[in-house]
Amino acid sequence: MKDCFLEIRELKKSFGEGEARQDVLRGMNFTVKKGEFCVLLGPSGSGKSTLLNIIGGIDTPDSGYVSIDGDKLEEMNERELTLYRRKHLGYVFQMYNLIPNLNVKENIEVGAYLSDKPLDVEEVITTLGLQDHKYKYPNQLSGGQQQRVSIGRAVVKNPDILMCDEPTGALDYKTSKEILALIEECNSKYGSTVIMVTHNEAIKYMADHVIKLRDGVVRHNDMNEKKISAAELEW
Amino acid sequence: MKNPLIRRIPRELKADWHKYIVIIIFMVMMIGVISGMYVGHDSMLSAVYTGRKELNLEDGSFELSKRASQSFIDDISTGEMADVRQYYIDKGNKEADKEVAEAIEEAFAGFPDEVRETEEYKKAVEEAYEEAHNTVVEKVDEEWGEIVDRYNLDEDFKPVAISVYENFYRDAAEDYNNDGTEDATVRVFKSDSTINMASFNKGRAPENDTEIAIDRMHADNVGIKIGDSITVGGKKFEVVGLLSYVDYLTLHESNTDLMFDAFGFDVAMVTPEAFNKLTARVHYNYAYKYVNEPEDKIQKADYANALLKALITQTLVHDTEIEDFLPEYLRQASNFAPSDIEHDSAGTSILCYILIGVIAFIFAITISNTIDKESAVIGTLRASGYSKRELVNHYMSMPLIVTIIGAVLGNVLGYTAFRTVAVNLYYESYSLPTCHLVWSNTALIKTTIIPLVLMFCINLIVIVRKMQLSPLRFLRHDLVRTRRTKARRLPSWSFLRRFRLRILFQNMPNYVVLAVGVVLIELMLCFAFGLPDSLSHYSKSAPDMMFAEYQYMLMDSKDEDGNVIKTREETAETFSSKNLLYLKNAATLFSGMGSGKDESVTVYGIADNSEYVKLESETSPGEGYVSSAFMAKFGLKVGDTITLHEEYENKSYDFTVLGSVDYDGGIALFMGKKSFDAMFDKEDGDFSGFFSCNEISDVDEQSIATVITAEDITKVTVQLDHSMGGFMDVFKYALVVLAAALIYLLAKIIIEKNEQSISMVKILGFMNTEIGSLYIVPTAIMVIIFAIAGFAAGYYLMIWIFQLFMLQMDGYFVYYMKPISMVLSVVYLLVGYAVVSAIDYFRIKRIPMDVALKNVE
Repeated sequence: MKDCFLEIRELKKSFGEGEARQDVLRGMNFTVKKGEFCVLLGPSGSGKSTLLNIIGGIDTPDSGYVSIDGDKLEEMNERELTLYRRKHLGYVFQMYNLIPNLNVKENIEVGAYLSDKPLDVEEVITTLGLQDHKYKYPNQLSGGQQQRVSIGRAVVKNPDILMCDEPTGALDYKTSKEILALIEECNSKYGSTVIMVTHNEAIKYMADHVIKLRDGVVRHNDMNEKKISAAELEW
Repeated sequence: MKNPLIRRIPRELKADWHKYIVIIIFMVMMIGVISGMYVGHDSMLSAVYTGRKELNLEDGSFELSKRASQSFIDDISTGEMADVRQYYIDKGNKEADKEVAEAIEEAFAGFPDEVRETEEYKKAVEEAYEEAHNTVVEKVDEEWGEIVDRYNLDEDFKPVAISVYENFYRDAAEDYNNDGTEDATVRVFKSDSTINMASFNKGRAPENDTEIAIDRMHADNVGIKIGDSITVGGKKFEVVGLLSYVDYLTLHESNTDLMFDAFGFDVAMVTPEAFNKLTARVHYNYAYKYVNEPEDKIQKADYANALLKALITQTLVHDTEIEDFLPEYLRQASNFAPSDIEHDSAGTSILCYILIGVIAFIFAITISNTIDKESAVIGTLRASGYSKRELVNHYMSMPLIVTIIGAVLGNVLGYTAFRTVAVNLYYESYSLPTCHLVWSNTALIKTTIIPLVLMFCINLIVIVRKMQLSPLRFLRHDLVRTRRTKARRLPSWSFLRRFRLRILFQNMPNYVVLAVGVVLIELMLCFAFGLPDSLSHYSKSAPDMMFAEYQYMLMDSKDEDGNVIKTREETAETFSSKNLLYLKNAATLFSGMGSGKDESVTVYGIADNSEYVKLESETSPGEGYVSSAFMAKFGLKVGDTITLHEEYENKSYDFTVLGSVDYDGGIALFMGKKSFDAMFDKEDGDFSGFFSCNEISDVDEQSIATVITAEDITKVTVQLDHSMGGFMDVFKYALVVLAAALIYLLAKIIIEKNEQSISMVKILGFMNTEIGSLYIVPTAIMVIIFAIAGFAAGYYLMIWIFQLFMLQMDGYFVYYMKPISMVLSVVYLLVGYAVVSAIDYFRIKRIPMDVALKNVE
């Protein structure tokens, strides 16, 4: 069995004050093992993106803690958090946020530049099926292709954790499945722990670990015994 | 691995070239024009000061009634005073001996010779000689006493050794169109002079007695060219050179002339042979240089005083007369131009500061806008692990590169084209020597280093401040620190009207930026229009500022015979005056903002019940009324104490300000005549000149130093207008271009920020004209409001800046804008905006619909 890698304990977070106060995370607890494909499922407002941002070190909890490989994020200063993100995390957003005046290859190099142990850029491009587009600019690509580049930028760092925030939220069915297959491949090929936020219930079938959130707490925390591949998914 | 973000920079430059080109043009114009002015200014000043050494400028000159003997030259060169008393006693004794001898001869004509052998005779003769000698001594002592008093010859005296040079000239008639009438007076010098030499702007020195070289500026003004033939002193000469004499940078015929006259006066060089053939009277002018150079102004004055004493005494014993004595530091013809050029840079400095402010503003809004646009990218990079420092470096590089490109191009232009413009402007005003390009530290610091540092600091502050936001806020485009939580309720107007109002509210932060930009534009236009207006306003109102129609400054209150100068002119009223200096740094309000040079203040002693200057009450020594210009320029208040000091002595005087006299024509202090005399140890009855309503004709011209009339004042301002007017035109056009560039940038930013919304309303089916009316009309309304309010703000800001500008100059005139200029300042902006709006409309038409649909970051 793989070791406990990510630990979430009594995590709380609220926004606003007084009557407008909204408790988004209300004492959340779970752990994720190294190399696991973990899916955070939940409807809008369940706190899944907030949780992902806190794990990613770009947001802070009101109380509780996040520990990665034994290191508590709350004990890190801003510089250490930046280094943490730089060394351990890869981010994939729903909106791809590519740099408009860098081409595909260069956008992926933006990720490689940050890493001490980057993957080969050309190899990543090939894995992502972007060989024919590597000198194109983002505005010359379709949404799916842009998301591939975004995955490439995250994966090329060879991160310990790949954070995916609704990576298929803006894509059609077919493209979504292709993107999920790629993330699956990155998980198995490079051994990255994947934490994916989604509201698409079907995706849970390809995960090792499924955590269902509602109203800021974990409702279900299950290991998936009958995992299927992304290609087999239907919704 | 090289940071891949570097590759963005050239692409961004290419993609957003029109924005960067406007910034670069702005930088190039600003740096080019200002650097050109500074480089031209410094080159010109350097040419003048280098010329002083290379062309052997005198330390002073004196003119004698006849050619000096070698013994005089030898004696005056030592700087020693002659023993005049003994000289006159010897001379008197000689005459007395002769007279006594004749008297004895006459008295003893019929007496036998034996009488002459008697003791009585011998005693009587001896007594007669002794009495005659005593009388001589008595008379000499009496007269010598008067001379000693008049010229303070009994004070401590230290001889000042000099080298003397012949620098003879003739003032001949010049007939440059050869029509037989005199067109100008030309002062002709010999070409073999080794002092006060000339530099040739064109052509060469005369080589034979039919050739002449004349002043370059006079030639330009009256249209003489090389090769032309002119008549000087009745003889024809061919003009072979256009020159600038080091001691005639301005064509002042006499040192007491208020203004030079490059039309009616000329200086020229001919060969010694040609000089000898001219018939006009020779002026036996001798130039001198001190053997030991004086260290400062005070020593210069001490040296000149000592030399004058030596000169007075030596001329007496060498039986010659002083026609003129002029130390170089008081010489208008060699000092007027450099001092005027030095002041010229003040206007450039002010413009420079305004433009640096504008540049800072442009950088601030540009970088802020860039960060807003790149918000998601920054958020992603930060979330991926890019450090703040890496992103700060990245976002700093583009403005740095743009500024460096602008600075390099601007300096190249400044050192070439614009410098030539500046130098030519100086050549239009003065007879200056040929000028060579010099490196200007002022130009580099003010036009390049300061904008670079400023740009660096502003960008750094804006970027670092923005980078304090969390990556999440960048990802959410949430860059505003405070957000309005409640929506405004609008009246039940038509939908489009409400929509337009919403757009207006939504763009409020952009309009704040626009408002600041418009104030800066109006400030630039107020500078461009207001400075020439102020000059011409001063020029027009200057005659009204005079105390009297005529103001006569006398050499002394007594004539050569020691009689007090009087006039029968009924309106004449005597006054006393004295020039002192006011320490500019003593001005508290703008302490340290002045040029550091002292302000010249004329202190007037006014007669009781004066018809020309009304003082509210009597003054005591140490009290006075200041001119309204003095009050305004230095922000003085009643009750303040001001300290004025002598320019050439270590003496200072404190005055309490009792009030002000309505006089904008100069920096002056007025006090009662008695207080004046007491304060400055003047004898009762001493005075400096007359105020008069009519011309005074019964005072010997020799006794009058200067007459100031309205015409003279106008001449000064016309000259000022002429010399500064050229700069003003250059500034005006440059500023109008810069103002247009700025409004273009501001309007572009507003449209860019609304790109997504515009794209969205296009998708919804709005026509381009409707979108134009939605997005351009609110901005246009704001521009109109801002133009009017911005003009008022710019106008008052300019008044304040003008005050600072005045502190760097001598004298004072108020900032003034003609009503038509005020209107034009607003109209120019609106016309500029109308053109920009048309461009905006095309820009709106070109915004694609997918901006709102796709994430095409």
